[in-house]
Amino acid sequence: MDTQTLLDQFHQRTEAILSKAVTEWQNLPRQQLLQKPAPDRWSAAQCLAHLNVYGDYYLTAIETAIQRAQSRGNKPGASFRSGYLGAYFTKVMLPDSKTKMKSPANAVPPEVVDPIKVLAKFIDQQEQLLTLIDKARMVNLNQVRIPISIAQWIRLKLGDTFGFYIAHQERHALQAERVIKG
Amino acid sequence: MTGARDYFSHLWPTLPEAILHDLIEIFHQHEAKRKSILTAEGEVEKYLYLVLEGVQRAYAIGEDGREATLVFTYPISFSGVADSFLLQQPSRYWFETLTPSKFLRASFQDFDAVLLRHPLLERYLRLAISKTLEGVLARQIELQSYTAEQRFRTLLQRSPHLLQLVPHKYIANYLGMDATNFSKMLGQIKI
Repeated sequence: MDTQTLLDQFHQRTEAILSKAVTEWQNLPRQQLLQKPAPDRWSAAQCLAHLNVYGDYYLTAIETAIQRAQSRGNKPGASFRSGYLGAYFTKVMLPDSKTKMKSPANAVPPEVVDPIKVLAKFIDQQEQLLTLIDKARMVNLNQVRIPISIAQWIRLKLGDTFGFYIAHQERHALQAERVIKG
Repeated sequence: MTGARDYFSHLWPTLPEAILHDLIEIFHQHEAKRKSILTAEGEVEKYLYLVLEGVQRAYAIGEDGREATLVFTYPISFSGVADSFLLQQPSRYWFETLTPSKFLRASFQDFDAVLLRHPLLERYLRLAISKTLEGVLARQIELQSYTAEQRFRTLLQRSPHLLQLVPHKYIANYLGMDATNFSKMLGQIKI
């Protein structure tokens, strides 16, 4: 796939989530972000807190990897091809995937979260992600690799890392949206 | 409002047709994604912008690395780093988009050429700059003698739509408040 088109798509998908958070979620009363559909299900604030945990890891990892690649003189490529694992992770992560997943213990959000702080951090992270997608135009999405958070020995291509990270966000942003709408 | 003719007719209804005609020639469409830096500190502002869509801000970064948001712009308004543009000297501020934005913009060379051809345009420009100066001085008073809550209420009266358009941290920063304090005040007002 053409690299610029792919990055444009990543940008638009992130923009869509960010726009929802800014125009709608940040103006909701705290209570609405905290309500749970059932005692054992997450509130919207918890969904976003869960995403923030991954943001903390991936945004830092991506930033570092892009900087290193640039200092090594890495150059952008014309097209991107998903790796086998990368394509698989992205597929199961997308919101319409039928695969059920259980979050690893460290990414399960606490029962009590401050919804305003969580949302502010979430918005910050989406802005950072947009900046990183832009910076990624300067490096090769096939060659730069990022270790995944749960297994450092598995290193996905940068293009796949964006792909599955954004799919994961879409999955839980939709979940948050459903919870908010009740 | 999509064209330069509509824009200037709205801003300056009495502008003579000859000047309008020359201005329209030099303003071109420009689009920028969210969080695009249009002018960096140290660069000379190359363009005079008219905002068609979106919200932008100018901000300074202090020696301690902290940002100070000086101004928001949104339709219908001029935009860009005004002092750097008019004086053609390096900008002390950053100018960035906070939402996806569309502009009409003219380069300094083109704009200056039209000004030289039409001395009357200087008068329109002076009135526009006077309005800006009025706003800057009013904000100076707000910053020095208003309480945080008064500043908050003043902004919500003047630009309530900003709450739905940009992340609240930028509004809090513009008001000189921390984000927690800002959300507390917002919660109180809604009740």
